[in-house]
Amino acid sequence: MNVALAILWKDLVSEWRSRDRVIAMLLFSTLVAVVFFFALPGLRPEELRALTPGLLWTAYLFASLLGLNRSFALELENDALAGLALAPGNRGWIFLGKATANWVLISIVQILTAGVFALFYRVDLSPALPGLAAVVGLGTVGICAAGTLLAAMAVRTGFREVLLPILLLPALFPILAGAVEGSLAALAGNPVPFNALQLLIVIDGVYLIVAFLGFDYVLDE
Amino acid sequence: MNESKPMASNSENSIPSRLEAQSARWRRPLGMALGVLCIVYGWAVVSAPIDSSQGVIQKILYIHPPLAYGAYLGFIITGFAGVVFLVRGREDLDRLAIASAEVGVIFCTLMLVTGPIWARGTWGVWWSWDARLTVTLLLWFVYLAYLLLRSFSGRNPRTARFAAVYGVVGLVLIPLNYYVIEIFGSRSMHPENLERGSLGDGMGLPFLLGNLTLALAFFYLVLLRWQVESERALDDAIDTDGAHREGQAMRRGQSPGPPDAAEESPEEMTR
Repeated sequence: MNVALAILWKDLVSEWRSRDRVIAMLLFSTLVAVVFFFALPGLRPEELRALTPGLLWTAYLFASLLGLNRSFALELENDALAGLALAPGNRGWIFLGKATANWVLISIVQILTAGVFALFYRVDLSPALPGLAAVVGLGTVGICAAGTLLAAMAVRTGFREVLLPILLLPALFPILAGAVEGSLAALAGNPVPFNALQLLIVIDGVYLIVAFLGFDYVLDE
Repeated sequence: MNESKPMASNSENSIPSRLEAQSARWRRPLGMALGVLCIVYGWAVVSAPIDSSQGVIQKILYIHPPLAYGAYLGFIITGFAGVVFLVRGREDLDRLAIASAEVGVIFCTLMLVTGPIWARGTWGVWWSWDARLTVTLLLWFVYLAYLLLRSFSGRNPRTARFAAVYGVVGLVLIPLNYYVIEIFGSRSMHPENLERGSLGDGMGLPFLLGNLTLALAFFYLVLLRWQVESERALDDAIDTDGAHREGQAMRRGQSPGPPDAAEESPEEMTR
């Protein structure tokens, strides 16, 4: 557990000093919001508002891919990954530390991106905030669990920028289904359906367990 | 340290392993049975009656559903073989995982090709986000990701470990996707009459033969591909051994060349 906290603190402090990942992810998701505007011409504002949950989650997914790739690319410098592998105890705690750091950083970007979408697509998020926060928070846990495990693999192959999206996106379709369903309900002013939350909790639990146990084999030198 | 594998022994990590050697004995009889079945199956499909409402396109029924065995069983075998490889270090099961994934992706691809052909003929559209179609498509993506991971990472123990871990992720995704579709999925457009066992007259035999033939074809192809992978691993082990001998010879100041009994060191002769 101390290892997890140490890794979490290390990643957050290093990101605070450089702020490169958060800025890159935020810029990317803003650009995605603009791309969607040009890709969907002729839609009335209310039609665009109805598409907002799906577009928002698309931006979240692609920005997360960027951030997850970078989270382990940093560790390749100065052979830091080998140092991580030598850390005492179960390597699953290293995974937990990295995944939590990724969750914090991606959540910051998601909050700011939601503001960008609210501005561009004229969506009032304030009544939907509690439900949306729950759905986004739970969905991001699953993204970070699977993403941290697969990023640790992809970064050690020759094609990491290409391989991570190919490996991760199939694993994220169930999360996307539940998250968009929940976000749609929240933005419509309805309570988030229990089956959407249940699905996200089940997926998060499964991915956290698989990633915690599997990280030992992924970080093995 | 000499990492070459003992070739005569059939222990778990030899190449081929005891399991591979035993499985390889089934390949020829399975192949012969498959050859005969293919002829009978082909005749049964051609001579089966044509459905009055769907026409000849209905005969895809004898091919499309049986492909599901290979498509799903392929990844289940890949996933479980990968787990045993991770936990017990059974390299022969890693080779089985590759074989099963490559054969399974073929069956999955054929399902995704025959399905839309049938859909166009019966539902009037090439594609629908029907529950089973969607889950099969997602499984196909998992297969492709697994094979690309293997292909991009080269042939080494690290790749095998990564692929095994991804195999577990994919294995978990199969029921998860079904769970998702059950919660949020649309009404299935797939015919339900197969489950109720009410095939038309004359359709039962070709359907049964289709199931049997394609299931046998899956196992035959997996055994064949497993054997190929085993032979590749043996070639790699021989190359590694040869390179090791060259390295040793160069360190002793001798010219590297094929191993000769008179030139072997006492340590190697007593190994």
